[in-house]
Amino acid sequence: MADHSAQLVVIGAGPGGYTAAFRAADLGLDVLLVERWDTLGGVCLNVGCIPSKALLHAAKVIDDAEAMAEHGVEFGKPKIDALKLRDWKNKVVGTLTGGLKQLAKQRKVRVVHGSARFASENTLQLDNGETIAFEKCIIAVGSEPLMLPGLPDDPRIVDSSGALELHPLPKRLLVVGGGIIGLEMACVYSALGVDVSVVELTDTLMPGTDADLLRPFLKIVKPRYAAIMTSTKVTGMRATVPGIEVSFEGKDAPSIGVYDRVLVAVGRRPNGDQLDVENAGVNVSDRGVIEVDNQMRTNVSHIFAIGDVVPGPMLAHKATHEAKVAAEVAAGEKSYFDARTIPSVAYTDPEIAWVGLTETEAKAQGIDYDKSKIPWAASGRALAIGRSEGFTKLLWDKETSRVLGGAIVGPNAGDLIAEIGLAIEMGADAADIGLTVHPHPTLSETVAFAAEAYEGTLTDLYMPKKR
Amino acid sequence: MAATIDIIVPDLGDFDEVEVIELLVSVGDSVAREDGLITVETDKAAMDIPSPENGVVESLSVAIGDMVSSGAVIGKLKVEVSDTVVIAPALHYEPTGDTTVLAVPARPEGQAQRSGGVQTLVVPDLGDFSEVEVIEVLISNGDRIKTEDPLVTIETDKAAMDVPAIVGGRIESVLVKVGDKVSEGSSLAIIEADAPAAPVEEVTVDDAARAETVQQAPAPAKQPAPAAANELPTINEAGFSSAHASPSVRKLARELGVDLVQVKGSGAKNRILHDDVKAFVKAILTGQASAPGGGLPKTPSVDFSKFGEIDVQPLTRIQKISGPRLQASWINLPHVTQHDLADITDMETKRQELKGAAKERGISLTPLAFVIKAVVSALQEYPKVNSSLSDDGKNLVFKKYIHIGFAADTEQGLMVPVIRDADQKDVYELAAELGELSALARDGKLKSDQLQGATFTVSSLGGIGGTAFTPIVNAPEVAILGVSRSSMQPVWNGSEFDPRLMLPLSLSYDHRVVDGAAAVRFTTFLGKALADVDTLVQATP
Repeated sequence: MADHSAQLVVIGAGPGGYTAAFRAADLGLDVLLVERWDTLGGVCLNVGCIPSKALLHAAKVIDDAEAMAEHGVEFGKPKIDALKLRDWKNKVVGTLTGGLKQLAKQRKVRVVHGSARFASENTLQLDNGETIAFEKCIIAVGSEPLMLPGLPDDPRIVDSSGALELHPLPKRLLVVGGGIIGLEMACVYSALGVDVSVVELTDTLMPGTDADLLRPFLKIVKPRYAAIMTSTKVTGMRATVPGIEVSFEGKDAPSIGVYDRVLVAVGRRPNGDQLDVENAGVNVSDRGVIEVDNQMRTNVSHIFAIGDVVPGPMLAHKATHEAKVAAEVAAGEKSYFDARTIPSVAYTDPEIAWVGLTETEAKAQGIDYDKSKIPWAASGRALAIGRSEGFTKLLWDKETSRVLGGAIVGPNAGDLIAEIGLAIEMGADAADIGLTVHPHPTLSETVAFAAEAYEGTLTDLYMPKKR
Repeated sequence: MAATIDIIVPDLGDFDEVEVIELLVSVGDSVAREDGLITVETDKAAMDIPSPENGVVESLSVAIGDMVSSGAVIGKLKVEVSDTVVIAPALHYEPTGDTTVLAVPARPEGQAQRSGGVQTLVVPDLGDFSEVEVIEVLISNGDRIKTEDPLVTIETDKAAMDVPAIVGGRIESVLVKVGDKVSEGSSLAIIEADAPAAPVEEVTVDDAARAETVQQAPAPAKQPAPAAANELPTINEAGFSSAHASPSVRKLARELGVDLVQVKGSGAKNRILHDDVKAFVKAILTGQASAPGGGLPKTPSVDFSKFGEIDVQPLTRIQKISGPRLQASWINLPHVTQHDLADITDMETKRQELKGAAKERGISLTPLAFVIKAVVSALQEYPKVNSSLSDDGKNLVFKKYIHIGFAADTEQGLMVPVIRDADQKDVYELAAELGELSALARDGKLKSDQLQGATFTVSSLGGIGGTAFTPIVNAPEVAILGVSRSSMQPVWNGSEFDPRLMLPLSLSYDHRVVDGAAAVRFTTFLGKALADVDTLVQATP
């Protein structure tokens, strides 16, 4: 006899895992949720999206206050209590993870803490020796930050989770990896008065992103950061008393730099190979990825996988969507993952967001498209908030005028991109968007402007006639 | 029986002492189970405290700003307990092959001890319908009503009907509004009933009928599994992912297993809508390649106001329903119409003889009753005309019952009431039922089961005029008899012209089922049957 049994066991209580567990419980399944950490919520709530956004908010308040000095509202230099700031961030996290516990209780989802491994295709074993028998299982074990090999074991070298522990604030921070996670933390530390340097192996920050999206961002951060070194390789690190000595190899990089803290943000690795899935007959790649079909089933039909362990972007909003599909299929419903697009957002300042087709992808795939781009300098609201550096760009199908993709740079770009996501899912065309009345004065108007620019009906800017 | 219960704050989880931020109801309000009564706010979220039962709020003991905890009494609710009564438990016929099953709705607990006091009036058995729309509410709070007074008018896709009260009394509160969807058992109103009404007879009938159900009810025949040819094609994932359909339509398509690549969108810019997906499935399952009318050329649209003054009036409800059905029949059935003349001289003489006596019995002995009587014997002789084609078009379904529909012209439009088991009725009974059903049709009071189950239809325009017409078969029936105006005509009897009263008959039929020779044999037989007066007026065994 197993120590626990359930119709459905969900391994991992991150956004994917708890969503799957709750949805399945709502559909009448008896659900057991297994979590190796003490709190629910996974990386996203505990050491990811949520705490980083709390800190980014603090960073934005500092930057905005400073920016107003030029326009007649001056505050003193901010006094930063990193310990108190960290406690506030932890309280935000605590509220959310506590709420999850409550939601689990209300739904009668049982929670077991421990690391689970597959013993067979219908049993799991926990690290405390207990066994769990299940009819169906959803693997939602997420991913972990990748560390570079051969680094010295030193508390001053941290991953993204460690970077969220602000205290003590360093004087000089090196961010290794110019992706979204690294740049968001760079943003936080820079606002808190830390000298930030960023090093990236490829020739651009946020590799894969359309180059024009980076320009407004670089215009803001370049003067603020000590250095942004692209096409630069980190060849070694040495822990010394004054700091971590990092050696570089790249045309614009010094050969050596010394930093009080080094954040390694070079990517994340799926955890699919850490729970003996082969004992259940589930295939997993040597990179920890578990392949699934469009109903989130692995090669073993009663075992599902969702979130960071399956292919695709490692994003909470992708995991939660997949979670519902998996839970519904496990409960016998005919659900499929049919989303056409998953938005991406860098919560830097300015924010950078995109959804659907990018110009980079279109060129790589030979897709013919039209483009309309509205500089935020044409938006009254953008000027009123003192942020005219951004833009809104939409890509169009030349034949049907349907929106294929969109990108927005500027404050709140992450919120604004949702409209374009809906437009893509609904198959909206330029007229559908342009003829929808957008409230004035808002940043959302720029989406309508871009549609009108494509239609040739825009009056807020003078566009030379194309057609 | 009415009782008063306490309204108690349920388990609030980890919270105690939450603030009341809004009162959603007032004393005297009628509330349904689960309706929000008050809103409380924790430091996490606001939530509504639901009503534990259906009832009327008798008191509320909290105010905005009060703090409440789990278990606190926040007011009192007057509820109706276990006194639900079913109004007019209509018997519901379900023809299943050669046995007629009487299905009686189960009587809820407490009906036997029906008494005065507060009761809930609920919707009776609606036959095959559920989720029927309330189109008119005929009562309001405080009204005094008598037994059989109409409470609400509901509309199925067949007919509108009034739901009568089973008890008289004073309406305490009306629980539905126009536009609500109701099903059997839905509460309509709470009534303070008058004197006890103990319908002993009705109970006996119910019980007898139920007993019969138990004895006779055969297991319902399983629907034949759809043939392989009618299965949905597999989904082309690549095409599916670029179909012009919103996420909710894609979800529906997944549930139904529909490949959106094959569905033609009827929305703006060819957007695929929910209805397109449903129509596609229906077309596949009924063996049609594409949705009916999908590939038909459209008639030209004309702006009539360009040519003079116009007045636009909506089609009546019945026209909206019958129009598409007539069109579907016209498009789907290969129609042929056989015309003939029947000599009804003797029949008419006989009818004139019997008319007066019938009138005294309250029966209007119309020529149509004789025609139906003759049609019944023709159908018995040619059972194919009383059959239907199976859904897959591969079998003929012979019905061992004869239910005759007759077209009735009403102000709202064309209706077809049905005389059940016409083969078991003599000409007087047929005439009586014709009269009753016609009156109900004119008043818009036909029940849904009085409009279902016909095996053959007669459309008589003879009262108005005409010499011949081509009626449209009322599919899935396979034939319809059109009757025009009779007239005196010279008929050569071998030596001279004889004045005979001749009745024009027009039989339209589905040529897939009935062939020309069979049709003309049918009309010939019908003509002879109409001339054979003695048989027509015989009592039915």
